[in-house]
Amino acid sequence: MEENLEHSDWMKGIKETGFTVPSGYFDDLNTGIKARISAERLRNVVQETGYDVPDGYFEKLHTTILTKTTSQSVSDTKPKVVRLWRSNILKYASAACFLIVAGAGIYFNYNQPATINGIGYTDAAAEQMLFDIDEEVIIEHIEANYRDEQKPTATEEALENYILNNYSQNDLTGNL
Amino acid sequence: MKQVEDSEILEKFSNTKTRNEAFNLLLNKYQQKIYWHIRRLVIDHDDTDDLVQDVFIKVWKNLENFRNDSQLYTWIYRIATNESITFLNKQKQRNNTPLDEVSAELEQTLVASSYFDGDKAQMKLQKALLTLPEKQRLIFNMKYFDDLKYEEIAAITGTSVGALKASFHIAVKKIETFMLNEDITF
Repeated sequence: MEENLEHSDWMKGIKETGFTVPSGYFDDLNTGIKARISAERLRNVVQETGYDVPDGYFEKLHTTILTKTTSQSVSDTKPKVVRLWRSNILKYASAACFLIVAGAGIYFNYNQPATINGIGYTDAAAEQMLFDIDEEVIIEHIEANYRDEQKPTATEEALENYILNNYSQNDLTGNL
Repeated sequence: MKQVEDSEILEKFSNTKTRNEAFNLLLNKYQQKIYWHIRRLVIDHDDTDDLVQDVFIKVWKNLENFRNDSQLYTWIYRIATNESITFLNKQKQRNNTPLDEVSAELEQTLVASSYFDGDKAQMKLQKALLTLPEKQRLIFNMKYFDDLKYEEIAAITGTSVGALKASFHIAVKKIETFMLNEDITF
């Protein structure tokens, strides 16, 4: 029976298994085997890296990580929400206070005389302008324009007081 | 001691009552593996200490959203790998170090390290590793020291198995050449 099977006609036609390998496989296999042998030989010489850690390091590390993770999570639970408005009365009272303060601010702002702001601004500008002009220029200007005028008989101090009392800084800068 | 299964950790973590216990189990299982994985890349113990804490804080924050389409340990390894490579890149930028001087700097760290008690051969192997490009070093470490399968390394690094094999072979050849030049026979 066995003999018959080995020499049966259908078996004679099958010479190949049908299995294939990736292209260039046997070249790579050669390299791979050599590398494995080298690695195994190396392993006989060096099994460990040689690196060391401080005594009790891993116990300490374990605790440190747990402190930063699981222990931390207990305090990381959802924050407590405190209601700002506990009752409607407080809510309406706060709104009313806000409206009163805002209304009073707007009322007083609108009733301020408009000229005050304007004058304040021009006075400040004039003062700044006088300050910026060189004193020599002012003296030259006065001498050139008022050379023919009769010199006042009053003292300089009295004259300065008179000017300050009767003319604004705007009048003075307007004439310069 | 019986090693707890990842599925058990994940199941416990999904329940708020047993979440802390699950994370404790996860730390017990992976803390040291992740430490050594990072340490072999960044060399310095203090840098590793900071990074390993950052990794597990990220794990804690994101484990809730972890989907079971990848394995837990490859996911943690991937976080650790990304953190380490980001750290090394930042270090290069901060020190404005040209690429060819990076290994020299890491070698200095290795030699000056208070926490290295390896013998001559171990020191040579680490020096040899530092001559490799970062990715080859990463792959060699995971294959050689962690004994991970190529498929697992592929899941961690996002590289094909074929490319990983090629990288590992090249790395081994380079190390072999380096060690022989340093009179370490094997």
